[in-house]
Amino acid sequence: MMREMVLRNVLHRPVRTAVCLLAVAVEVSVVVLVVGLTTGLLTDTARRIEGVGADIMLQPPAASAFIAFSSAPMPMKLREKIAQVRHIAAVAPVLLQFNASGLEIVYGIEPGSFREVSGGFVFHKGHDMEHADDMIVDDVYAATHRVRVGQTYRYLEHDFQVVGIVEHGKGARIFVPIETLQELSATHDKASLFFIRCTRPEHTEAVMEELRGIFPRYEIRPLKEYLSLMTATDLPGLNSFIDSMIALAVCIGFLVIFLSMYTTIMERTRQIGVLKSLGASNGYIAEAILGESATLCLMGSVCGIGLSFLLRALALAKWPNLTILMTPGWILRAVVIALVGGLLGALYPTWLACRKDPVEALAFE
Amino acid sequence: MTAAQSGTRATIISIRDAQLPGSYVEPLLKTEQLWKVYRTGKVEVPALQGVTFEVLPGEFVAVMGPSGCGKSTLLHVIGGLAQATRGRVLVDGNDLSAMSDAERTKLRRHKVGFVFQRFNLLPALDARGNIALAQHIHGNGFDPHRFEVVTRLLGLTGRLHHKPSELSGGEQQRVAIARAIINEPKILLADEPTGSLDTANSTLVLEMLRQLNRDLGQTVVMITHNPEAAAYGNRIVHMRDGVIVDGAPEG
Repeated sequence: MMREMVLRNVLHRPVRTAVCLLAVAVEVSVVVLVVGLTTGLLTDTARRIEGVGADIMLQPPAASAFIAFSSAPMPMKLREKIAQVRHIAAVAPVLLQFNASGLEIVYGIEPGSFREVSGGFVFHKGHDMEHADDMIVDDVYAATHRVRVGQTYRYLEHDFQVVGIVEHGKGARIFVPIETLQELSATHDKASLFFIRCTRPEHTEAVMEELRGIFPRYEIRPLKEYLSLMTATDLPGLNSFIDSMIALAVCIGFLVIFLSMYTTIMERTRQIGVLKSLGASNGYIAEAILGESATLCLMGSVCGIGLSFLLRALALAKWPNLTILMTPGWILRAVVIALVGGLLGALYPTWLACRKDPVEALAFE
Repeated sequence: MTAAQSGTRATIISIRDAQLPGSYVEPLLKTEQLWKVYRTGKVEVPALQGVTFEVLPGEFVAVMGPSGCGKSTLLHVIGGLAQATRGRVLVDGNDLSAMSDAERTKLRRHKVGFVFQRFNLLPALDARGNIALAQHIHGNGFDPHRFEVVTRLLGLTGRLHHKPSELSGGEQQRVAIARAIINEPKILLADEPTGSLDTANSTLVLEMLRQLNRDLGQTVVMITHNPEAAAYGNRIVHMRDGVIVDGAPEG
């Protein structure tokens, strides 16, 4: 009977219910998509950095492991100093440029040194860069953006000549000569990071120790198991961002359910009086109101999950290179967050309903 | 009258009919020097000023009086919806004036049924849901036999799946009566039950109440300002300015 009453009440005011469901759905999809986007970007970037094949990555002081967020260029001449360290076979400077319009990172590289560090690209078509305006893209980018070898491709307000299409997984999806990117971004003789290859993988620890002695404040990270380092916990800024988004989502759910249930309680004052006249205890009334809130939250969550998949599909249609990871764990967490926010929002209206004087409630117009 | 109604009448013996002449029957409802004072700011407004009266089991008492004389307040206090300022209310031996809010709620659940002037049905539920809700709140679960008896008695069988907005005023009030008596309360309190009905429906509802009283032995206290409605009761109590002016038992 309680379930029937809750369900009938939910269906009795379709517009109110629709607004609630939409708000909870937005709340759930904000959590799912924000977390999915950040972890997706993180994982994707990490996989590709791991895929470069270097042993160590050296970045300027306080640089983020999430390299898309840190340009912080260093002088190119550091390369000579790094190269003097024992057991280092190759050093490749890389300048990063984040292209906001395509939500992608471009690597400015020296073809020779990058080849030495990474073991070289696997070319599907074309060849390596030889001239200042040459560009190579990976097969995913080429397919999604319909780029072909020999094509003039305008990128970063510059006309590049696409000379090669390579297997994906080596750092970025787009590569241009480092000098050209330095010129385009006004960072002459600067690099964002150095990829380092040791003479043997087992020398990595020793080389890192020595580098830390020479560059004490610099970020020196091993690239083996780099993926495991790239979690939100290791990126305090990102963690705060995710927390803020979740807090925002909880606020949306809380306020909408609060407003909805508050107006519902006001509207149903007389009905609460009737329930009290029938001998309904405060517990019974609370169960009815909280049950209705929980039902709205759960229905909204289902809509939210659907909305998340829809928005992801739309986002991927617009930005095919994007990775949005929607894991069952985070979907479940988003539902729980919505439920908690909704129930918190319903607490005050519930308390209000329970303490209503039955005589006054029955006289309510 | 339906066969089921006739059957119900045949199987239930009116408590009043069962009383032996001259024998003492414990009152089902008793008030002693009942006062209810409302405070609006510093002003005190006495709604009840020492009401003392009794209702015996199986009685149908009509409480009459002009607007503002305290009829509804009396009904709310004896039904446990409001707390008396002074005096005692005993319902089936339970002293409401000594009870907490939760205890009065429990007493309402098990011993009191209310019928209101404006029906007060839950608009989201159909007639069946409104009646079943009272059973659910009562805590004994859905009793299909009792449900069947009550809805047939009140002629609601064909209207059970209609929402209040799809029912006439008379039908809504009959649903409200069914909801009030579904748990077999000791006392049925009706606050101007015909106040929102036309003459034909008023007659129908009053006949129903009389039938419940006569056939099921249901004790009824009905508030009304209509002498024709009051005439359905087997005792009429008149109130004025918060006191009973006649109709209270002597002594």
